Amino acid sequence: MEFAVDVRGLTKVYEGKVRALDGVDLRIEAGRVFALLGPNGAGKTTLIRILTTQLKPTSGEAYVFGEDVVREGAEVRRLVGYVPQEMSVWTDISGYENLLIYAKIYGLSSPKRREIIWDALKKMGLSEVANDLVKTYSGGMIRRLEVACTMLTAPKILFLDEPTIGLDPSGRKVVWEELTSIRKEYGSTIFFNTHYMDEADLYSDEIAIINEGKIVKLGTAEELKRSVGGEVVLFSVEGNSVNEDVLGKVRGLSLVNDVIANNSELSVVAKDAETVLPDVMEVLRVEGVRVKKTSITKPTLDDVFLKYAGTRLESGGRISEVRKVRGRIRRG
Amino acid sequence: MDSLRNMLVMIELELRRLKHDRTELYSRAVQPILWIVVYGPIMGAVKAIPTGGIPYTDYITPGVLIQSTTFVSIFYGLTIVWERDSGILKKLLVTPASRYATVIGRSMASGVRAIFQALILIPVALLIGVKFLPNIAYFISALLIIFFASGGFAAISILVASFMKTRERFMGIGQAITFPLFFSSSALYPIAMMPPILREFARFNPMSYVVDAVRGLVISGDFNNLPIDLVAIAIFDAIMFAVASVSFKRIIE
Repeated sequence: MEFAVDVRGLTKVYEGKVRALDGVDLRIEAGRVFALLGPNGAGKTTLIRILTTQLKPTSGEAYVFGEDVVREGAEVRRLVGYVPQEMSVWTDISGYENLLIYAKIYGLSSPKRREIIWDALKKMGLSEVANDLVKTYSGGMIRRLEVACTMLTAPKILFLDEPTIGLDPSGRKVVWEELTSIRKEYGSTIFFNTHYMDEADLYSDEIAIINEGKIVKLGTAEELKRSVGGEVVLFSVEGNSVNEDVLGKVRGLSLVNDVIANNSELSVVAKDAETVLPDVMEVLRVEGVRVKKTSITKPTLDDVFLKYAGTRLESGGRISEVRKVRGRIRRG
Repeated sequence: MDSLRNMLVMIELELRRLKHDRTELYSRAVQPILWIVVYGPIMGAVKAIPTGGIPYTDYITPGVLIQSTTFVSIFYGLTIVWERDSGILKKLLVTPASRYATVIGRSMASGVRAIFQALILIPVALLIGVKFLPNIAYFISALLIIFFASGGFAAISILVASFMKTRERFMGIGQAITFPLFFSSSALYPIAMMPPILREFARFNPMSYVVDAVRGLVISGDFNNLPIDLVAIAIFDAIMFAVASVSFKRIIE
């Protein structure tokens, strides 16, 4: 079958020194939402820039819907929509004019052009401000304008480099709602870079964790979380009423992976904590163990990241830096 | 065909920007107005510079005009640096437009700014009594020459911008390019008056040819050098576009 993105042994070395990508292999099925998760300098942006034909790889191959990004760059550019991490619209003209300029660059014929532009503006909720200068827009509105811009050509695949960086939570939510609706309407594959765990978790079908130029783990959010061990249900019980007999019975339940008793606490490890909880409660009730409190802890993508990349995602400094850049850009 | 369309789109973009905000053009007009209104009449009163019978202010008006339009084009490179800092350049690279069309289109777009700059200065020159040749065709030809030459100067700034990492650094460099070009051209005095070394430099100075062509068309009516001027400008443009297109790669990475 044809993959939306097919990358084999891709490396990129900048100026003979900095190894940004170090043998990346990746296959993404068409129609999926794919998240590339990693810290700064992991190679996320480099990978997107190679896939969108801006940079040439040092070695290896990359295909977008079967087209070679090096040899068939022109074909690839016709298939993709792209929103860079930084701002990609002119702030000293209106939102409508921005889309008009890009529509002309893409060679949209004039009778349809107006209609397509207004349609995109409407879908992104920008028709009211279409004739205002972009410098008066909020960060979220600018991002939506950029997304509207990619909609002009109904791309088969959309590459988004940190699509919500520097936006407040409500702005992030709106951008993702619009992206989800684009995907429904055009069936576009979406490839996005992020260092927001929650974003990868909420909106992607598949996640790859990248660190130091290598993909260290690939799977759905659930698979990744499960791969770091199961979920844990913690029972606080009265007194030391948990004896070996009770432990044995709990251990005997199906779906329970492990049980650890520690004074008045009982930890049950299972694949799915919610399903196991009632069964364990029932056993404890029958055995006369009184439960004071229960809690469930689930592994997060952060744990996954820690396990496979060996570090936590540190993003604070970077975000404020990007905010600053965007602020400066907006002031012109 | 596609490339030509993309160049026109870049020019349209520039027109739309000017439609919204022209303050830069007005503030940039202050300096050339001082040259024409203050420096010209004062130096003219001394009668120290042989101008072939043309009043001194009239003589320098084309030069000052070209100096200011060149300034506009050179600083246009700033826009490119700005667009690199923002994501616009990256985005443009992922459109079907060819890279050469993008570079040449952006360069040519500076010509639009240059023409508007010239159109602000000309009424000032008329007001203080500069006598232009009353021929609209010559006048339009002069504007076209300014337009095409500006493209070449903007390409210089794209080339320089490809070496610059920040906007701030570029500001100083812009001045450092424009003024030597200005003083080693025939903008303020005939090349024959220059010391021999500077005269050699002037021969390779594209601004000399632009000034000469425009002065012939709008002031002196002397067209003897016009063919040479046009060829020189065409060669200058071709070289600069080629070099800028190649250096553009550095801007991207």
